[in-house]
Amino acid sequence: MRRVQLCCSVGLLLLSLFFPAYGLAHKVNIFAYVDEGVVYAESYFPNGKPVVKGKLLVFDSQQQLLLEGQTDAAGLYQFDLPQAEDLTLVIDAGMGHKNEFLLRRENLKE
Amino acid sequence: MRSLLILLLLLIFAPSSQAHFGAVIPADDIVEAGESQRLPLTVKFIHPMEQHYMEMARPERFGLLQGGQRHDLLELLRPVKGKSTEQQRQFTYWRGEFTIKRPGDYTFFVEPQPYWEPAEDLFIIHYTKVCINALGLEDSWDQPVGLETEIVPLTRPYGLWTNNLFSGQVLLQGKPVPFAEIEVEYLNESSEGSPQLVPPSGPYVTQVIKADASGIFHYAMPRSGWWGFAALSEASWTLPHDGEEKPVEIGAVYWVFSRDMN
Repeated sequence: MRRVQLCCSVGLLLLSLFFPAYGLAHKVNIFAYVDEGVVYAESYFPNGKPVVKGKLLVFDSQQQLLLEGQTDAAGLYQFDLPQAEDLTLVIDAGMGHKNEFLLRRENLKE
Repeated sequence: MRSLLILLLLLIFAPSSQAHFGAVIPADDIVEAGESQRLPLTVKFIHPMEQHYMEMARPERFGLLQGGQRHDLLELLRPVKGKSTEQQRQFTYWRGEFTIKRPGDYTFFVEPQPYWEPAEDLFIIHYTKVCINALGLEDSWDQPVGLETEIVPLTRPYGLWTNNLFSGQVLLQGKPVPFAEIEVEYLNESSEGSPQLVPPSGPYVTQVIKADASGIFHYAMPRSGWWGFAALSEASWTLPHDGEEKPVEIGAVYWVFSRDMN
């Protein structure tokens, strides 16, 4: 019995080492803005920690995938504005941690 | 009918039950992705339970603490007139609209001009705050603004359910106020679809609690809506009125919104 408990503890410890941010705050968030034709996306947990190496997907208003990328160590990702229409940015941090941000067409010219 | 009569009698015969509150009330306490990022706010000086307005001069300061920076927002405010149904005349309050640009916690604060209260023979200045969250980044709701006196929340001040315990610390010139007295009032216009509340007697209008030796207090909000917390101190300075120096009541006021869990 003690051996099982020990295995569980070691397993949890290893999991926490691989996914340190998940133990602190689970909900991932994404925010994006446009500056001089470049879209800047920021992904973060509620406590401000960045979503590192999160999969970032960009869809057009027809829900067609335009591009796919990965956030850097600061939770950032940027790309040239592909077209002047509503864009949906989806951050997927794995293990069901997913969120999206609608970048409206009227906000693309900032 | 009987309830209305009781309320009317309370208003007429128990003026001491009315507590003054500075108020900064945003249209929402949480702005999420996909929602409008334009946030209307009203700035008032009121008796929250009775919804009585008092005349409010253009504030000395209306500002924002966000991302560790303070911003002056006084230019956003425009004067508006309003009154409760019992009041005979209109009173000035202030309205503004702020556009959220980035994720984070936004603490709005007001320093009003001194309000002369002849019934109490003193001036009143309520340093008033409210915090809203935008786009999921909870980065600074627990940071003091640096006001003369203020309540610093120890409970995250948004996303509160009705009956949650709200805890805060009262500061005066940055230091805790031991055993501070805190008045608590419900903004009697903010319930979500519920009828207006009619307090059964005077003490129900304003709840009164005491902080502990560290200036920390707790209160569980029993109803959905906006709740104001006012910790009152006497300033170490005075202000002149008709050639006489008068005491100044300084209040640290904080507003939170609670939602029913249904």
